Amino acid sequence: MSTSDTSADAADRPLPQTPDGRATWPWTVAGVVLVVALALLVTWLSEAVPEAAEGTAWSGIAEGVEYPIYAIALGLLGNLVLSATGQRDRLSGAFRTEFFIKTGLVLLGASIDLGVIAGAALPAIIQAIVLVSAVFAFTWWLAGKLGVDQRLRALLASAVSICGVSAAIAAAGAVQARKEQLAYSASLVIVFALPSIFLLPWLATLFGLPPAVAGAWIGGNIDTTAAVSAAGALAGEDALQIATIVKVTQNALMGLVAVALTAYFAFRVERTAGSARPRWADLWHRFPKFVLGFVAASVIATVYLGLVGSAGKAAISDVNALRNFFLTLAFISIGLEFRPGPLREAGWRPVGVFGAATVFNLAVGLGLAALLFQGVATG
Amino acid sequence: MPENDDAADARVDRVRSIALSEDWAATVVGLLLIVLVLAGAFPGWLVP
Repeated sequence: MSTSDTSADAADRPLPQTPDGRATWPWTVAGVVLVVALALLVTWLSEAVPEAAEGTAWSGIAEGVEYPIYAIALGLLGNLVLSATGQRDRLSGAFRTEFFIKTGLVLLGASIDLGVIAGAALPAIIQAIVLVSAVFAFTWWLAGKLGVDQRLRALLASAVSICGVSAAIAAAGAVQARKEQLAYSASLVIVFALPSIFLLPWLATLFGLPPAVAGAWIGGNIDTTAAVSAAGALAGEDALQIATIVKVTQNALMGLVAVALTAYFAFRVERTAGSARPRWADLWHRFPKFVLGFVAASVIATVYLGLVGSAGKAAISDVNALRNFFLTLAFISIGLEFRPGPLREAGWRPVGVFGAATVFNLAVGLGLAALLFQGVATG
Repeated sequence: MPENDDAADARVDRVRSIALSEDWAATVVGLLLIVLVLAGAFPGWLVP
């Protein structure tokens, strides 16, 4: 799931409402208009700036600044303005990072040949199982050593090892975490994900990683699915495809982790008669359904191209343009939703745990990506 | 469990349920857009 998925920040935000407290949809519509307008501005900037800078000393930089950077920067700027004017909460019903990113990823499925998914599936599953298990165990152990609250410990371990905010949401339901803990974990995910969007593609280039390895490293490390897409887009189309396959595989593991956490808290931590019992139906309930959409999109596009041949490439390129637009909406929403507030309330220990787990994730993830994805074919 | 914890749990459940609905919504919207574009039924001027 999700991912980040900053929408878990929704745990800490009110429904759109008027000053007298009534929910109102006009504010949400106004928010949608704002997000779409910012996305159109991003589309324009990412074409107009390189054109304007052509032939100048800024040409290289202008070429390198791609749409995820404009989108996140404009989102953060909009966040500042809306917070200063007290309008952000009213409009926040439209900041649906989860919906935008998942729709973008389903659309992305159409640009990935089924053969690429089939070729990357096995290494992606092996990497996801090994990496999620290792990072979850390390974070769980370290948080226990530092005396972090049991529920927050489960949220942090899920968020850093699987897929950010979505995993934190799933884990919060499984362990009955408080909304402050969910909001706090969501904020931590975003604080660490934002620099990773720029850092990992840069490091991948510095290390000379091939696109498949770079994509696997990015997909296995960055916690939020939206940030993985942003970093993948910066690293190139081939890296983006592999990063998405790896992230979607991690997403699919979330149901298993949520059920395991439910069982652990019911039988080991809570041990009360009223504790929720895990059910196998929870596996399906918590399974991120957009993963099915992603695979279905790849099947549809592969069959379509098989039938119409290269004449169908124009249509796929239209789907790609729509995909980039939805990803842009998601990146803008990341910036608009960001709240540092909950971070200040929880002290240094959870931040330390998350930071150490991220470094551990980076090191193990790089080793696994190099080992498993060295010969994987891309787009 | 204190009363405000119950309210907080309800909030977490609500967020989880929204996330699950968004999963299906994103799947349906994404696949619908793909089918419309591939079938040539999506207006070209709407493609950003």
